[in-house]
Amino acid sequence: MRWRSKRLLFLMPGFSGVLLFYLLPFLEVVRRSFLKSGSGAFVGIDNYRAVWGNGAFVLAVRNTFLYMAVGVPLLMGISLFLSMLLRNLLFRRRLVSVMLLPVAVPAAVMILTLQILIDRQGIINGVLTKVSEQIAAFPAFSAIDYLNTEWALVVVVCSFLWKNTGYMIILWLAGLAALPKEVEEAAQVDGADRWQNWHYIIRPGLSGSFFTIGMLSVLQIFKSYREVWMVAGSYPQEHIYFLQHLLQTGI
Amino acid sequence: MGSRVTVPAWAVQAYSRWRKRRTAWLAGGICAAVAALICSPLLMIPGGALMDSMEMQRIFSPILGEGKGFAAWHLIPVYPTMGHFYRLLIESPAFYQLFWNTAGMTAAILLGQLAVGLPSAWAFAAFRFRGRDFLFGLYVVLMLLPFQVMLLPQYIVLHKLHLYNHPAAVILPAVFSTFPVFVMYRGFTQIDAEILEAAWPLSLYLPQITIRQAGFAFAVAVLTLIPALFVFALGQDALEEGIAYIGVKR
Repeated sequence: MRWRSKRLLFLMPGFSGVLLFYLLPFLEVVRRSFLKSGSGAFVGIDNYRAVWGNGAFVLAVRNTFLYMAVGVPLLMGISLFLSMLLRNLLFRRRLVSVMLLPVAVPAAVMILTLQILIDRQGIINGVLTKVSEQIAAFPAFSAIDYLNTEWALVVVVCSFLWKNTGYMIILWLAGLAALPKEVEEAAQVDGADRWQNWHYIIRPGLSGSFFTIGMLSVLQIFKSYREVWMVAGSYPQEHIYFLQHLLQTGI
Repeated sequence: MGSRVTVPAWAVQAYSRWRKRRTAWLAGGICAAVAALICSPLLMIPGGALMDSMEMQRIFSPILGEGKGFAAWHLIPVYPTMGHFYRLLIESPAFYQLFWNTAGMTAAILLGQLAVGLPSAWAFAAFRFRGRDFLFGLYVVLMLLPFQVMLLPQYIVLHKLHLYNHPAAVILPAVFSTFPVFVMYRGFTQIDAEILEAAWPLSLYLPQITIRQAGFAFAVAVLTLIPALFVFALGQDALEEGIAYIGVKR
């Protein structure tokens, strides 16, 4: 019994803060969601019904889920593939440091660079136009306005991948390093091919990492809103209108 | 045609060695290419920090709506200048203030997270108690909530505690964030990633920068990247050790 109360001592300081700064405020949000704003009268699920009937909300939910459905698997897949390649490389540390650099770039500078690259008269369009002029086999190219067409989501996903790949590689490498080497070596002696090695040894061994890295990828998706807002403002192209835009500007 | 050709053993060995080496080169090549792709936009930063404003306006004029054609970029400026650094380091005392404020806050947040988050993560990882899975799930949900949801009620809490407009209003919620608990729970040695996460909110110094002031922004970027590079260089060792530790633990 005494040991059990000691265990609580580990959790309690943190939990009291979580309760004060996160859980109670969140419960307050939930409570207010059943009240009429202003008068505070109980209105049941009226607010929820109003939100579901709102076009902007439905658009924001759809876009946010699409962004997650595309961004999270791409990020996890690319970073896992690269960390499988990286894990036996001699120059692993240098390469990983370079891939981590985007995390340290101030967001404002990242946005400036992005604008210079993807503007309708920016560098990417300039290079593509030049290529299509110089090489006859290349189809004629007319400049794309990336941020004001459906390309906007592609831009957002690419910059999300650019920023977070290195971060996720570090997490995958940690997960891979935790796998016992002997099992793989034994399997190799028994003639397991690369696919079997992945399917029977690495994939099951990484199951915990899958959960953690998946959750952190979703978190990074939500965090990337800041960059989206900085580059496109409060009322962006409709493909990159996300839930946070709605929360920020109100319905 | 029936007789089988026997391949000598040395040839088989040489072939498998060649295949292994080819795989290693291929893997290294792909990773190097990706690393180059990732850092290629960053190559604009040092040149931009040293570029004269007039030169920058000229090459950006298409973006600024003042010209036809497309923007260009000079990796090495034609008219290099230290003007942006001069303005930042000599003429803007606010920069130092913000720098040390940021450093102080980051340090306070990290220490707090270690003091509070580490024991919590340990409790989740090492003890079996009733409601553990539920509570951990709740922590994950709270971690994923967009901050806009919590903005108003958190403000009310801070206001009631008379903490509004005080550094503690930023530090305390960050200290009790469930993110470090989640990250440390897995036994990942996430402390360095955590430092990256806090990565120098100095970017706040550039709230509404426009392309016309890009050179100044690039100068700020150079100065903020320097401490980050130090952290990487130091953190990589800790990270490798940490990875080795996890390897031993299991």
